Amino acid sequence: MNADVIIIGGGIQGCATAYQLAQAGASVIVLEKDRVSRHASGVNAGGVRVLGRHVAEVALSKASMELWPQLDVELDADTGFRARSLINIAADESDLEILAKREQQMHALGYLHEKRLDQQELRERLPYVSPSCVGGVVSEEDGYAIPYKSTFAFRNAAERHGATFLEGVEVAQIRKIGPHWLVDAGSQRFESQYLVNCSGAWADQISVMIGDNVPLTHSAPMLMITTRMPHFATPVVGAVSRPLSFKQFENGTVLIGGGAKGFADRENNRTRLDYSKLAVGAKNAIEFFPIMKTAAVNRMWSGLEAYMPDNLPVIGKSVSADNAFHAFGFSAHGFQMGPIIGKVMAELVLTGVSSFDLNAFRVDRFERKVL
Amino acid sequence: MRNSYDIAIIGAGPAGMSAAITAVKAGSTVVVLDDKKQAGGQIYRNVSHSPLPNPESLGSDYTKGRSLVAEFEASGVIALWESTVWHVGDKGEILFSQKGVTKSLTAREIIISCGAMERPFPVPGWHLPGVMSAGSAQVMLKNDAMVRDNAVFVGTGPLLYLIVAQYIRLGVEVKALVDTTPLSSYTGSAPYFPGALAHARMLVKGMGLLNEIRKAGVTVYRFAENIAIEGDTEAKSIKFNCGGSQIKFSAEHVFLHQGVIPNLNMTRSLGVDHHWCAQQLCWKPTLDIWGESSVASIAVAGDCSGIVGADAAVDMGRVVALQRLVRLDLITEKIRDQLAADALARIKKLNRFRKFIDRLYRPQDLHRIPQQEDTVVCRCEEQTVGQLKAGFDAGANGPDELKGLTRCGMGPCQGRQCGHTVSELLAQWRGVTVSDIGYYRLRSPMRLLNLSELSQFTHVAPGYTEEKS
Repeated sequence: MNADVIIIGGGIQGCATAYQLAQAGASVIVLEKDRVSRHASGVNAGGVRVLGRHVAEVALSKASMELWPQLDVELDADTGFRARSLINIAADESDLEILAKREQQMHALGYLHEKRLDQQELRERLPYVSPSCVGGVVSEEDGYAIPYKSTFAFRNAAERHGATFLEGVEVAQIRKIGPHWLVDAGSQRFESQYLVNCSGAWADQISVMIGDNVPLTHSAPMLMITTRMPHFATPVVGAVSRPLSFKQFENGTVLIGGGAKGFADRENNRTRLDYSKLAVGAKNAIEFFPIMKTAAVNRMWSGLEAYMPDNLPVIGKSVSADNAFHAFGFSAHGFQMGPIIGKVMAELVLTGVSSFDLNAFRVDRFERKVL
Repeated sequence: MRNSYDIAIIGAGPAGMSAAITAVKAGSTVVVLDDKKQAGGQIYRNVSHSPLPNPESLGSDYTKGRSLVAEFEASGVIALWESTVWHVGDKGEILFSQKGVTKSLTAREIIISCGAMERPFPVPGWHLPGVMSAGSAQVMLKNDAMVRDNAVFVGTGPLLYLIVAQYIRLGVEVKALVDTTPLSSYTGSAPYFPGALAHARMLVKGMGLLNEIRKAGVTVYRFAENIAIEGDTEAKSIKFNCGGSQIKFSAEHVFLHQGVIPNLNMTRSLGVDHHWCAQQLCWKPTLDIWGESSVASIAVAGDCSGIVGADAAVDMGRVVALQRLVRLDLITEKIRDQLAADALARIKKLNRFRKFIDRLYRPQDLHRIPQQEDTVVCRCEEQTVGQLKAGFDAGANGPDELKGLTRCGMGPCQGRQCGHTVSELLAQWRGVTVSDIGYYRLRSPMRLLNLSELSQFTHVAPGYTEEKS
């Protein structure tokens, strides 16, 4: 099979890239070794946030945030996006100092979307927060979406524009013959001019096939969700320095995350949960929101996610080969960036350049010269 | 002091009790976990502490459990009661809730004997208040001596007839028995009849129940199909086709039953291999004759391995425990074979009887695979056939994708009530076998878990004794 572009990986980055390219008229094949949205893109916490981003990511993240509210119309689908604001809670004075420093840094760069809250303002926005919490920071446009549905929305829209999605097709070998990429996947072979690597927790393996070495690791961030509770929190909630994050959905269920990691078994597509760490998450949730004492946990899970040593993604061109591009290693905060990454990757493939500064995301940023 | 048990047994029903007795006799350290207050499982629930003035009225199949329970209690096995297991890991880890706290223990070998559940009966109106499963009627009876007057019993299978007979013996008014066993099941099961003859006593007992029901003057509708329960907010009436005409009458208490299926959430969330069983129309963990699953330290015994019945469960518990003892180097394979021979022979014989029973009481397709758009499939998230079909049409080809798109199977029952229906519906829509479709990928917790419970961890090891409350 031939196409202009082969995208490896059917997560949100791959699907959004496929959508943008197909819409621009390119022929696209997406190769997914399992099924679309099977891993991190389908099972993440659905956070759509600009708040607290690394400065290198803010421009991309803000641009993506502008796209989210229009996605349902644009993709003719239901991503479940809700702008609910996101508040990071300060538990004590030292958290407040961290917030003051962060504000200085952001204001110096001209970013004004993060607003500090005092104790009174915090309580007005989150009436059930523990009285011991002293303040916080809010980003008004942040919110959440339903990951599985969002990824599917891009996939279906891409298909409507002619993109081909092949599931259960695992790439075994990649070669470049003349100007063309040859991709072997068991009994099937594919050929294209361009290659895009969006293969998440498996992206280091694909990178090596392209010729780029990258210090990617993978892990299994864990989540749990409760049964329906009376409505008690409208904003999405995080904490400045504690591993706590939760959101209450419209149906009353509360999703509790916070970054605690389980055990990843990449070879077998499996993860194992570390219940003692979930217990810490449970403790934190109850401490910040005593109303959650009686919450009943209904499900717990984790997905395989890719991490870079600096927790920043790889976005951009291959350094070893022409016409190959990467978008992976989002380190547990890539879901929100999906919509803009689709545009960036399409730009790179079609024009060779991006309107964003991608220097911090170079694939070779960890390469060191050996003297 | 050792930190791990030799064998942990989850579920103190016939299979679990028998396995525990066998294992303790050989000198292994055994711990049994059960979410109830005493041994017995569903079938022998409260058999030694019945709240009924005359438990004999429930029949000898119930009261005969007393001797097994007595033997279990005398064996000296450590049992942790009111312990709800919510996680079993493939490294011998068991997490459970007991009295508001999470406890953990480890065992070299784990036997899962968590029994069966009633097969969901997804017909129009089955979700309405007033409609329950016949098994829950029996639980109310055995636990609290509670009954419902003027109930309508609907479905097929020996347990249904038994519960109706138990009601009659207790003098409770039964409005009707709507028997959904089709005529074709009688002819279809005939070839297996000779194989069942070895258990003539059980056959006679089964027929005896139906006679007892008729003699008591209960209206019996036979060969009923297209069951629907009607009512806006609660059950008001029932209608069905029977003998070429439609019958409808008022019904405020409806008890449904069409057999039992293995309780799979534990083996499923452990990730052991399962297969679709065409004879019993259900998923089963894939096991060898010693009950060993695809995860080496995990064995399965009794009805959660596939429906075998209480007698075979006792034998299976013994056989499975013997193989655990071999793995623990406590007995040799030769000894195991000697000690297991009788039990294995009885299991083989009972399997032939099972073939007949399974065919005779096979639930009808239209009562398993709902076709009407507005019939609820997932009760927790209130997803109907029509909504699931829309999810399928939107590209959800498998159970997990359907779950992701429609939320079916995401509720507190963890897919127990819709899992089989979803597998069979998808198979029908795609025109493939149920095996091709598979089942939900499940995760712990297997039961709802209180957040405060989760936040407190204690480890339990051999030597641990429970405070008596």
